[in-house]
Amino acid sequence: MSHPADAQLALFAGGDLGRWERWRVGSHVAHCATCSQEVQALRGVSCHLREAATELPAQLAKDLNWTRLAEEMTGNIRVGLAAGEAIARFDKPPTTRKRLGWNAALVAAGAAAVFAVAFWSSLPPQQAEHLMSSLKRIRVERFGTLVRGGAALTPDEVVLEASSSGIELKENGAAMSLMHPHSDRGTVSVSLQGVAGVRFVDADTGQVTTNKVYYGEQ
Amino acid sequence: MASSKLLAAGLLIGAGSLHAAVLPKIDLPKDSPVAVLSADYGNSNETARGGALMLDLHAALSLRNSSQRTIRGITLLVTAQDVTPGGKGSVTVTSLDVAPGDAFPVRIDLRLLRPLQASSSVPVVIGLDGVLFDDLSFYGPDKLSSRRTMALAEQEARRDRKYFKSVLAEGGQDRLQQEMLATLTHEADRPSLDVQVVRGGRATNFELEQKLQFAFLSLPDSPIEPLEGMARIAGNEARAPRLDVKNRSDRAVRYLEVAWILRDHSGREFLAGSVPADLNLAPGQHSQILENTTLKFPAQGGQPLAIDGMTGFVSSVEFSDGSLWIPSRADLGQQQLQRVIAPSAEEQRLAQIYRKKGIKALVGELNKF
Repeated sequence: MSHPADAQLALFAGGDLGRWERWRVGSHVAHCATCSQEVQALRGVSCHLREAATELPAQLAKDLNWTRLAEEMTGNIRVGLAAGEAIARFDKPPTTRKRLGWNAALVAAGAAAVFAVAFWSSLPPQQAEHLMSSLKRIRVERFGTLVRGGAALTPDEVVLEASSSGIELKENGAAMSLMHPHSDRGTVSVSLQGVAGVRFVDADTGQVTTNKVYYGEQ
Repeated sequence: MASSKLLAAGLLIGAGSLHAAVLPKIDLPKDSPVAVLSADYGNSNETARGGALMLDLHAALSLRNSSQRTIRGITLLVTAQDVTPGGKGSVTVTSLDVAPGDAFPVRIDLRLLRPLQASSSVPVVIGLDGVLFDDLSFYGPDKLSSRRTMALAEQEARRDRKYFKSVLAEGGQDRLQQEMLATLTHEADRPSLDVQVVRGGRATNFELEQKLQFAFLSLPDSPIEPLEGMARIAGNEARAPRLDVKNRSDRAVRYLEVAWILRDHSGREFLAGSVPADLNLAPGQHSQILENTTLKFPAQGGQPLAIDGMTGFVSSVEFSDGSLWIPSRADLGQQQLQRVIAPSAEEQRLAQIYRKKGIKALVGELNKF
């Protein structure tokens, strides 16, 4: 059983607590012999002080404003209590509520991970690659100082890709590819004006065909 | 020219498992020198892949030369504005010899990947960008500079046919056979490299950049002299090449291309791409070519390419009067070039005829021109 603080007992003894606090401390004091004794002692001191005051020189007793003095003391005690509570917030060990918060965060993180895995596995390879490149781009922006004087940056990245099996234009998650399934190895060519191409000889027709994808001014 | 014979290609022949709404439209101008005889979409299909739809289009077109001249090349423009609004594709067939009234095939194997929530139809449009005739005249809108592309291919074809004819005349079929075997060996041994072109993109390599100077191969007949050049290199990325060139001919130049050879740490060399430039360069004038583009060389199963050196050479020039310059066979015989440069389209075609049909068929093909 936790006892009210000494200051609260002092305020209770003097009848200076608020309604709710007075009821709360009073309920405790009614059932707690220790605190009841403490309150009795405080009230005894108060009476003793009043009696002592009557014995003061007449002029001094006349100058003392007991009401004002009581208000100042009450105010000081309230300030002390408020300061104590403020400091206690920093010293308190994590409460049950906070632990619940961490648990909730863990549950949320787990659910997000399951969702991310399901989402990733449902993506077609091209879209997954585009997402990956976007994530990489974010990473580059964050650590961009590692790249000195890199290429000019614009929001949309368009990639033309040429390999001996085909060519591809990737744009905003969509892709267009031109392939040559009826031929052997192709001859890859790219132009820095935004053209990628593959030339191949068709095994069936013997024709020389060049597939190209373009992006830019063409 | 904008108005056209708009052909719902699905009406022609078998649409396979494709819904008619996603079949391409073949959109040829009214006065087109070619006409569509048939379009077969045999194994085409559309399937859902996770959150996307994949359209596999295999179109076998049969076109007829409806003009009065022999066709040497054709470029078809392929667009899918809903899927890739900023880009387009093309299919070019060169080294043709299609007489008036004759038919010829063009195959288009296209794959489109689009999000499920995109519009239900895929308006793939196949249009005509240009036709090159045997007198080097041209028909078409030429939005993709296909006139120049096909004219360069035709010039290379004439150069190489002339060379192999001279080999045949001087050394007979045995010597021609040796040349063809050398071509096939060279084609098989030539190092190849997958390349990505990133426009307006961010650098994704964390390695520090270094500026690397170009070395240039000297081609004595070239009308353009490269003076100096550099590019920024970071690991397997080459960025923003800059070249200084001089017109040493007596004619104005409006277009040029400098081919770009990369060398890795182990000394292997690859033809990485070309740096093209549209310009107006008077005789004796200098100019600077800048391209804000990044080339990336993804790893092919092993270590990513680590760029260690760069070599450039002038691979083509177009003069202001429309005439073209390409390197001679002697120029291309330089040891460094021979290792990395692919045979021309015509040389590949002739080698394929030799491989499939033998030396007699090859001699017959050469004698047709």
